[in-house]
Amino acid sequence: MISVTPSNLQAEALDLANLSAEQTTLEIRNLNLHYGSAQALYDISMKIPKNRVTAFIGPSGCGKSTLLRCINRMNDLVEICKVSGEILLHDKNIYDKDVDAAALRRQVGMVFQRPNPFPKSIYENVVYGMRLQGVNDRRTLDEVVERSLKGAALWDEVKDRLNASAFGLSGGQQQRLVIARAIAIEPEVLLLDEPTSALDPISTLTIEELITELKSQYTVVIVTHNMQQAARVSDQTAFMYMGKLIEYADTNTLFTTPDKKQTEDYITGRYG
Amino acid sequence: MRNWFKSGAPWIWLTAGSVSISLIAVLGVMAMIAWRGLSFFWPAAIHEFEVRANDGSIQVIIGEIYDSEEIPMERLRESGVALDGYDEETLTRVLLKIGNREHVPLDFMWVMEPQIVRDETPADLAVVERSKDGNFYGYPMHLLEHGDVVTSSDFRAELQQRIERAVALNQQAIKLQQREIGAINYQLNRLRLERRSLDLKGQLTSTEIARIEAAEQQLRDDYKVLEQQLFAFRDQANRDALVVRDMRGIEVTLPMYRVLDVTFPNDMGLLSKIGHFFKQIGKFVTEDPREANTEGGVFPAIFGTVFMVLLMSVLVTPFGVVAAIYLHEYAGKNALTRLIRIAVINLAGVPSIVYGVFGLGFFVYMVGGTLDQIFYPEGLPSPTFGTPGVMWSAITLAILTLPVVIVSTEEGLSRIPSTLREGSLALGATKAETLWRIILPMASPAIMTGLILAVARAAGEVAPLMLVGVVKSAPMLPVDGNFPYFHLDRKFMHLGFHIYDVGFQSPNVEAARPLVYATSFLLVTVIVGLNLTAIGVRNHLREKYRSLEH
Repeated sequence: MISVTPSNLQAEALDLANLSAEQTTLEIRNLNLHYGSAQALYDISMKIPKNRVTAFIGPSGCGKSTLLRCINRMNDLVEICKVSGEILLHDKNIYDKDVDAAALRRQVGMVFQRPNPFPKSIYENVVYGMRLQGVNDRRTLDEVVERSLKGAALWDEVKDRLNASAFGLSGGQQQRLVIARAIAIEPEVLLLDEPTSALDPISTLTIEELITELKSQYTVVIVTHNMQQAARVSDQTAFMYMGKLIEYADTNTLFTTPDKKQTEDYITGRYG
Repeated sequence: MRNWFKSGAPWIWLTAGSVSISLIAVLGVMAMIAWRGLSFFWPAAIHEFEVRANDGSIQVIIGEIYDSEEIPMERLRESGVALDGYDEETLTRVLLKIGNREHVPLDFMWVMEPQIVRDETPADLAVVERSKDGNFYGYPMHLLEHGDVVTSSDFRAELQQRIERAVALNQQAIKLQQREIGAINYQLNRLRLERRSLDLKGQLTSTEIARIEAAEQQLRDDYKVLEQQLFAFRDQANRDALVVRDMRGIEVTLPMYRVLDVTFPNDMGLLSKIGHFFKQIGKFVTEDPREANTEGGVFPAIFGTVFMVLLMSVLVTPFGVVAAIYLHEYAGKNALTRLIRIAVINLAGVPSIVYGVFGLGFFVYMVGGTLDQIFYPEGLPSPTFGTPGVMWSAITLAILTLPVVIVSTEEGLSRIPSTLREGSLALGATKAETLWRIILPMASPAIMTGLILAVARAAGEVAPLMLVGVVKSAPMLPVDGNFPYFHLDRKFMHLGFHIYDVGFQSPNVEAARPLVYATSFLLVTVIVGLNLTAIGVRNHLREKYRSLEH
């Protein structure tokens, strides 16, 4: 059995079923997803509160990453992928025809499993999103770089070599650079797809501390297969299994007194 | 034994053996071409032989040893050559280059070794390189100025000085002829075309005629002035002459303006031989060909080859890259796309001469002919673009090498990790932005690889070029000082075709043989040079984008 100690960093529990409109950033309604003829997500509904960390946990292949990638429409790239249902970002369905996926992704940033810096300098990596928006003023960009790298707890380590290649950084530094790159364009939501799975324990710890800091400014959704991590960083946790949302509760409750038998089996390590 | 097989050792020997054989083959080809090509530039000793003919008469022969071979006596007897007092099975005969083309029936001569009674290499023997009629071998006797004998304490220094003067004058004359007089001819031709064009449009008013004729008159006046200068140069160059005693013992007067160089190879030390060697290579690389390509340099061919290949690269790269992007990024992943991809790959297998035929029929006659009718009607019936030229050659080779660029670009695109695309898209980039900012820069080493393969193939291709633009001798380079500077309609010379031409079409096969090797070596050098440049660029890019190489 895994011992899970909920950390004291967590915010007080919210009534997730009855969140008010201003408390909610994202609302998923009856989301179904098919890859060709195979269904990957079944009728998912949940509300994700503002300025808090929400974790998706579950065994491999349960659909947690797929669900995360629905939130910034990353699944659009997969041709055979069909989505039905709604995801509301401040009452606007992001799957509406008039929503531009690129504009949506500026509001909903994402960090991937493996660090994926671009083959550019550290500086250019951070300002990539700004340049895409046509911002080329050197002073503005300098400010953005400093703010973002500080936000990602990387500034002190790289401030003297901003023009060096991003490939020269360690894995953990690269992942923080990618986070800096994501927050440089000031999104509202930050999606983290197993952000520490390719990192060593010390880098993992740094990133986890960073995540708890980020929630003061962003709504964070994190997918993780590491339950201790979910317990440490998240305020509420969703357990998914076989494409279904089994249980969604604040983290303390879910890990100490889960409602469902399946959840209990999973967190006590009986499968997964 | 069984264990030996099981250990895999024979397999290693087999693979290593194959590699060694390939290596030996490549190095062997290079070494042979380099040796035979470069030895041509080494100053060979000039021999003076006394040869006893069958009737007992003695003949003096002066020349370079060019080649030697063993032949059976049997064959000689059959062909009616009799050698008295010689009973070996085989005998050696040597091929001599005796030069002096205008005075002897053949400037090459076979001599039987047993007939040679004396073989010397006197230090006074000189080889006179001439702009016409090839080399002259003999003993320089004295110099003439306006027909009078020049007396001087140091004959060779005096000779050298007068040669330099004559060469300088000749160069000035050639420069005048090619630059200034060439420009006037070019402008006169343009005026003629302008007049014709106005005539065709019905706008040839009397004022226009007057203007054009005035301009023509001005050019003709300029021409007369330049012509006078040219004659003056020639007269000055004609001042001196060199008297040389040849192997017949006759003193021959060689006008100095035809003399390019006089060397005394028998009197040279190693250092001066090395110096001469590099000087000759320099001349070969920078000078125009003479005497139906059998003498002189190959500069226009080098220029033509490099220019055509660069033009082709400029054409094929964007086309290939854009096509590969469409195939890889935008085209649906269905049977039609696969069919197109297979068709593109198979295009690489079409024999190159077929592309030549296509280029001639489609580009030269159809496209070129139409261009002429629309844009250059004043030139007709003599075609401007409706005739083979460097542009059509470059386009034909671009089509020939297109599949290579497409295939390697596509491969490069598919090697880029999808996490990078996603990373860019997640920051709000569109697909096109991701392509321009991330994917294409990262695929650039693969694009360069495609270009390297394309250049390697195109630079060595001769067959299609013979149909679409290459000629034996091009009077003008495709780039010169006359507006618009790049003359893509012109025909050009090419090293590959030059090898063929010198080796097979030359009036003097023996004289041309070393040139074939030298030109081949040069062609390989040019291709290797182009490739190394491209490889250097690629490695630089690779280093720059050496990314998440997992």
